[in-house]
Amino acid sequence: MAIIEDPLAIGAGDDASQTVARPLGDLTRPQISGSWKDWLSTVDHKKIGIMYGAAAMFFFVIGGSEALLIRLQLATPNGTVLSPDVYNQVFTMHGVTMIFLVAMPMAAAFANYLLPLQIGARDVAFPRLNALSFWVFLFGGLFLNSAWLLGGGADGGWFNYAPNSTVTFSPSHGIDFYALGLQITGIASLVSAINLITTVLNMRPKGMSMFRMPIFTWMNLVVQFLLLFAVPVISVALFELTFDRLFDANFFNTEAGADPLLWQHLFWIFGHPEVYILILPSFGIVSEVIPVFSRKPIFGYSFMVFSGVAIGFMGWGVWAHHMFVSGIGPISVAAFSLSTMFIAVPTGVKILNWLATIWGGRLRFTTAMLFAVGLISMFTIGGLSGVTHSIAPADTQQTDTYYIVAHFHYVVFGGTLLGFFSGFYFWWPKMFGYMLNERVGKMNFWLQIVGFNLTFGPMHILGLQGMSRRIDSYDKGFGFDLWNLVATVGAFILAAGIAIFFVNIAISHRQWKAAGRPNPGPDPWDARSLEWMTASPTPEHNFDEEIVVESLDEFWHRKYGYDEDHKVVRIATSEEVAQDGSNTNVHLPSPSYFPFVLSLGFPIIGYGLIFSLWLCIPGAALVVYGMVGWIFEHPDDPNAAHGHDEDHDDHDPDAIEAGDVTEAGDAIEAGDTGELVGAGQTTETEA
Amino acid sequence: MTRNTPSARTVFRFVAVVAGALVLASCSEAPLDTLGPDLAGPEARDIGWFMTWMLWICYGVFFAVLGITLYSWRKFRIKTDEYEEGDWPEQIHGNTTAELAWTAAPAITLAVVAVFTLGLHASLNSNDENAIELIVGDEQVAWEPEVVVIGQQWWWEYQYHFGDVDLVAQRVENLPTTGPIITTATQMVIPVGEEVELEVTSRDVIHSYWIPSLNGKRDAVPGRQSAPWKLQADEPGVYFGQCTEFCGLSHARMRMQVIALPMAEFQDWVTSQMQGVALGDADQAYVDALVAGETPAPENSMQRGIATFRSKCASCHLMDNVADDLFSPEEVRKQLVAGVAPNLTHFSSRTTFAGGIRNVYDPETLEFNANELRIWLQDPSAVKANYVEPASDGDVRMRGMPNLGLSQIEIDDLVGLLESAGEKPSEQIIRETGVE
Repeated sequence: MAIIEDPLAIGAGDDASQTVARPLGDLTRPQISGSWKDWLSTVDHKKIGIMYGAAAMFFFVIGGSEALLIRLQLATPNGTVLSPDVYNQVFTMHGVTMIFLVAMPMAAAFANYLLPLQIGARDVAFPRLNALSFWVFLFGGLFLNSAWLLGGGADGGWFNYAPNSTVTFSPSHGIDFYALGLQITGIASLVSAINLITTVLNMRPKGMSMFRMPIFTWMNLVVQFLLLFAVPVISVALFELTFDRLFDANFFNTEAGADPLLWQHLFWIFGHPEVYILILPSFGIVSEVIPVFSRKPIFGYSFMVFSGVAIGFMGWGVWAHHMFVSGIGPISVAAFSLSTMFIAVPTGVKILNWLATIWGGRLRFTTAMLFAVGLISMFTIGGLSGVTHSIAPADTQQTDTYYIVAHFHYVVFGGTLLGFFSGFYFWWPKMFGYMLNERVGKMNFWLQIVGFNLTFGPMHILGLQGMSRRIDSYDKGFGFDLWNLVATVGAFILAAGIAIFFVNIAISHRQWKAAGRPNPGPDPWDARSLEWMTASPTPEHNFDEEIVVESLDEFWHRKYGYDEDHKVVRIATSEEVAQDGSNTNVHLPSPSYFPFVLSLGFPIIGYGLIFSLWLCIPGAALVVYGMVGWIFEHPDDPNAAHGHDEDHDDHDPDAIEAGDVTEAGDAIEAGDTGELVGAGQTTETEA
Repeated sequence: MTRNTPSARTVFRFVAVVAGALVLASCSEAPLDTLGPDLAGPEARDIGWFMTWMLWICYGVFFAVLGITLYSWRKFRIKTDEYEEGDWPEQIHGNTTAELAWTAAPAITLAVVAVFTLGLHASLNSNDENAIELIVGDEQVAWEPEVVVIGQQWWWEYQYHFGDVDLVAQRVENLPTTGPIITTATQMVIPVGEEVELEVTSRDVIHSYWIPSLNGKRDAVPGRQSAPWKLQADEPGVYFGQCTEFCGLSHARMRMQVIALPMAEFQDWVTSQMQGVALGDADQAYVDALVAGETPAPENSMQRGIATFRSKCASCHLMDNVADDLFSPEEVRKQLVAGVAPNLTHFSSRTTFAGGIRNVYDPETLEFNANELRIWLQDPSAVKANYVEPASDGDVRMRGMPNLGLSQIEIDDLVGLLESAGEKPSEQIIRETGVE
């Protein structure tokens, strides 16, 4: 182990004489990029975003397979594809996977990749923390799904009401995996929220006031605040449930006097903001895509921002609409019914503003635009059925039926997921340096839209005809047969549509290679915001020079201006405006293995809590080791990423150097804000 | 004409298909339907009327949004694959007046909806003071129709208390078990045209009581009596229900029916429910002897059935005048998590069993469905998934009915006993209970 002298002293950077050999042993930062070690230790927000996306897609396939199993079981009356016990696990895991391991991480993927770029920053405020949140999420998700191999998945429904979730009624370990797994992924969300809020509030460039940020950035900012306050609530609920199940506590034990509605309140105080967490990122995506392919700015930028913020605030006041029939009393029901109705207003404003953006525009229906426009209609259906739920008396007939299942699939699939697909097609060239095939993309879209509507449209009818949700089978004679069969057929069409997306990636990549890897250029869509002002794929250091912002849609305004008749005229081409990525004298946040190492400890603690408390010791040890290594690791490896040390004179004075400490000891403006700067240590690097 | 433009014809066809499908859907048999003309409960009708209005408003809004979208698609779409340089529409950034208008308009619409909502909500949560005159046992009582509805995995129990008991304040386990009470299961019998107040609760996890053609649902929450709910049926008949809060393994197989009887028939029902199983003289003597501690030999199937019931079933199930001397709530609580099993005294006065999923009488032949009952008694787990294997952590209590390992003779005898336990319901009721 190394001798570390004065680890907390802030160095002036001239103690090159104090060299320490391999202080971190095998966890010394890698110097080579592109290998698996690079991905494991990266703190680059773009790579982290891509990993989030890949992981979310992996879980999407799992959750989608669970959905197809559900549909197979329910295709005919008295189905025998799944036993009741397995069915209960499948529908629970489908819900948990899709919400926590697909929708939220996919939004994180887009937010991580794009937020720093949209605000012209080098990276997020806390790059290592960013990596931590990805690895914690991944391990939490894998831990949760490992339940399948270790006694069965959680089987209490995705909202897992007590007392059914207590050990008496759910004796298998599935719900323990649920409770611990979601506490682990909750850490990821909270860490990420703190990181992105700090980034957006502190790291915007000169001239970018809050009201010159893109709508996508705004929506994600609101989401991070929602996460910050909502995730602790569910963590508390899960913590209490864990204690009930593993250590005989009585939080949810009605026989011991617990209030049986406690779980419901805690869950839904999280759960309702959660659904806005799920939808606002996609609202942000669509608010970027539609103006580009309408050749008009977003209609009513202020209203779009305010309505997003309003949704964020109002979302806290409606949770008990999930409890209209739980016996909370008529006054509470009336109050929440009213508050729920009014949250439709800001959402309606957005729909109308998007339509007004399209109206009178020059519309180009690329695949991204198709998905975005699809979202408008599909989300409208989901939103309208939501308004019918807000009418508490009517909800007493609708709640817990397939009418609700229809509603939330229309808003989450028709809203959140269609938004993500729009984002994929839109930002793919920026992220990966090639275009996705548009013809295959259109097939992708149409199959999805048709399959999606065939699957979930009939569920409105099924619900209003009395089909209860979460039933593993139904009898003949209730009138459910036809529409369930239609829904199953639709589900397979939808699955085919989604499969085509993966096929499209393969085809597009192959076509690109066959054509000699043509670069799509910085701005294939003639877009509006700063992320397009770089080469494609985005260079590792993002921007060559700091951007001074003078308006909303800054990039667009550098390409276009107005003449005397207020007609749009071109000022410059995209290539002229975009930064080409040639500045290599940029000091980047240094990679680190410690987020990965730290994260590994959490699932081990989880397994320990479930199976054998002794396992918690190595798990906790890993967490502590990860933290200690992280703290003592020099956050700013002077030899990393650009290959030269402090004493060089081809220093580009305009380049922003993250990790720079000026002679006066001024704080660095990007990268490792707030982290300790170690005392002038240099590491003897390995070749 | 560019490709992929949805023409007016296509849109019209789409609308026609959707509308037609909805019409079709309402024509087919749907006993749990929440809309449509056949709702028997005034609450369900009020909700249905409101919902129908809301659905039309929703269709209107949706088709307006879709219409604007498709129209824009048609009108503003560029004719080429890529944009032409210089082809820019007017760069409108917004229109505050319009935006304020389309913030205000939905808000005002919703405010109007809210007023109607509050009205309906108030009416659903009101309770009228309606007492009906009933003869219960030997006494004339003025009964305000009120039933305690108790859910447990995976069946419903009902308690009618005709004495002066505050059902809201008392916890379920403190309610009287003797006196002018009726305890029954699965099917709640109510008088036609009367508002019946329900105190819905649970003995284990959260369930939900829902009879769609009469009213919305109300969760059965353990440890508390939720704010009272109500049901009223304006026509005599059988009304179907389904547990609608996920409650574990056999949530899908936890059903119930409400049977509405005209007042006179309701009175008859009450009278017969107040009595134990009616036995012939010889069988009655046999029972009396068993109760006294003697061990007479059974002489016929009925007496064998009584003996089998007392030895195999009475530790959980109460059957008045056959095995009530053996019944002990503490014993039941040791065997079952819920602590209660269905009261079987009037088994054959009901038209469904096993949690409302099997017919007691064949709806077509009107005969007692001995076969269905035999299958159940043979192996309940095969009919309805349950937890009856001994738990590994030392808690041996079961959830659901175990396989008792009954022989064919025992099963046949029990079937005979159960057929005699209770008065056969009317033809109409049997026919209307068509459950597969």
